[in-house]
Amino acid sequence: MRAAIAALAFALLTSSVHAQERPPASELPAAVAEEQIAVGSDYRGSQITVFGVNPDRRGRGDVVVVVRGPTESVTIMRKRQVFGLWVNGDPVTFSEAPTFFAVLSNRPLRSIANAQAIWRYRLDPAASAELASAVPAGADPSAYRAALVQLRRAQNLYQEHSGRASSGRSGLTTYQGGLFRAIVRLPANAPIAQYNADAYVFRNGELISSQRIPINIERVGIERRIHDLATQASWLYGVLTVLLALGAGWLAAFLFRRT
Amino acid sequence: MIYLPIAEMPVNVALILLVSGAVGFVSGLVGVGGGFIMTPTLMFLGVPPPVAVATGASQIAATSFSGIMTQTRRKSVDWRMGMLLSIGGILGSASGVWLFEQLLRLGQLDLLISLLYLVLLSSVGGLMLAENYQIWRGRKTRGVSILRRPARTIAHTLPLRMAFPRSGLYISVIPPLVLGYGVGALSGVMGIGGGFILIPAMIYLLRMPTNVVVGTSLFQVLIVSSLVVILQSARTQTVDLVLAALLMLGGVFGAQLGALVGARLNNEQVRGILGALLVAASLFFLYELVSPPAERFVLAGGLW
Repeated sequence: MRAAIAALAFALLTSSVHAQERPPASELPAAVAEEQIAVGSDYRGSQITVFGVNPDRRGRGDVVVVVRGPTESVTIMRKRQVFGLWVNGDPVTFSEAPTFFAVLSNRPLRSIANAQAIWRYRLDPAASAELASAVPAGADPSAYRAALVQLRRAQNLYQEHSGRASSGRSGLTTYQGGLFRAIVRLPANAPIAQYNADAYVFRNGELISSQRIPINIERVGIERRIHDLATQASWLYGVLTVLLALGAGWLAAFLFRRT
Repeated sequence: MIYLPIAEMPVNVALILLVSGAVGFVSGLVGVGGGFIMTPTLMFLGVPPPVAVATGASQIAATSFSGIMTQTRRKSVDWRMGMLLSIGGILGSASGVWLFEQLLRLGQLDLLISLLYLVLLSSVGGLMLAENYQIWRGRKTRGVSILRRPARTIAHTLPLRMAFPRSGLYISVIPPLVLGYGVGALSGVMGIGGGFILIPAMIYLLRMPTNVVVGTSLFQVLIVSSLVVILQSARTQTVDLVLAALLMLGGVFGAQLGALVGARLNNEQVRGILGALLVAASLFFLYELVSPPAERFVLAGGLW
């Protein structure tokens, strides 16, 4: 593993020489160690390692790495009391809320880029969640946005960290020569889909280089077959489940028959 | 640990087998289907409610089929009545699955499930405790107490009457259809078999003889729960085959063991303990509904 990292780092360092010749806001030399993540019956979450090299030879600038899951619309509801019972109400829908979002940086994001840049490059989980419905009278849309981030953060689906990774926690480390490595811990409840890792280098609050790398998370083996059957031949899947139930019932009745 | 392909979460195999075995054991011990214990237990373990409801139905199908195999040998199934109840049940479960889908979309599914469980668990548990109390007071003799059935009910006066030779009845077809429909709808929404509602209703409302009640209700439960599994698979895709297999394994063997042990135990005491457990569980649902939530905002709209 260590040798592989060293080899990769060397490859990145040599490629950065070419990157130097490109105009600003160039492609950032970066790669992902796990381009394919297999979800089998023993899956318990995973991790995504993003490597890259800051094109600035002296390592000036700041590194931000964002791993994004697919976006989908999400509805946030607020509990309110109706006849003494707490009931969901006042729904607000956001379109394109990321299902997974991890932003890692070498130092706190707010000191790397200003609010406009954070919003423009969608470096904040709330930034890409757009309001898609009318807000109920008297409700504050930003409270709903904050609630969305809070709820997903509690499920470990939204992560914001600056500084090094530690055991069980995502993080970003910079090395000499401009090399950086970001580790994102992907929890088991993160959706199984196509992800993207984006690496950005900012200098004095300006984006100077970035790169997008796709990551594929896929079911394999029996997990994949069951899921494909459930989604593509759902009637057959239901019938098979019932047959399995009948088989189990028959087996139990047969084994425990009182003679 | 095994990763569930539909629930999209890893679970501990031994824990699920233990829980489903325990629920099956309790259900075999006191002679109830167990779906109304299994489904909330799964939710408590973190399985998303839609998956718990839809997958729980497959375990009910397994348990009821196992039961019906024993009952048919004793010739204690009134097939004609069972068919009528099932026709009502099929329509009911289709409505139940439809209602489930609509509520899921509106973000109100958890409210309805909590309310229904609150009512059902407290009433069934309360009835069990009340019966036990009466036995304790000595007002009843020992043994199963199904007495003083009304001589004529609404089932005898409504039109469209038909003969049920095995039950020795000549009653209207409307009450069995309506009863089947109601239980089927509950089954679709809550992931329960509904035997604990069907059996008293068959005895008191339809005046069926007790020796065919259990087998006939099992037949209806089998048909309805199988249909719920197929409909939920097709409509909401919330049936988890891996979880279902684990539940069946634990559930059916637990139920058979429970039935063996139950034959040697004091039935009233067991029922009393179960009644107390059910009332306690209903209090938990009540607390969830009335206590101020720690988090005011909830995610809704998706499947979970």
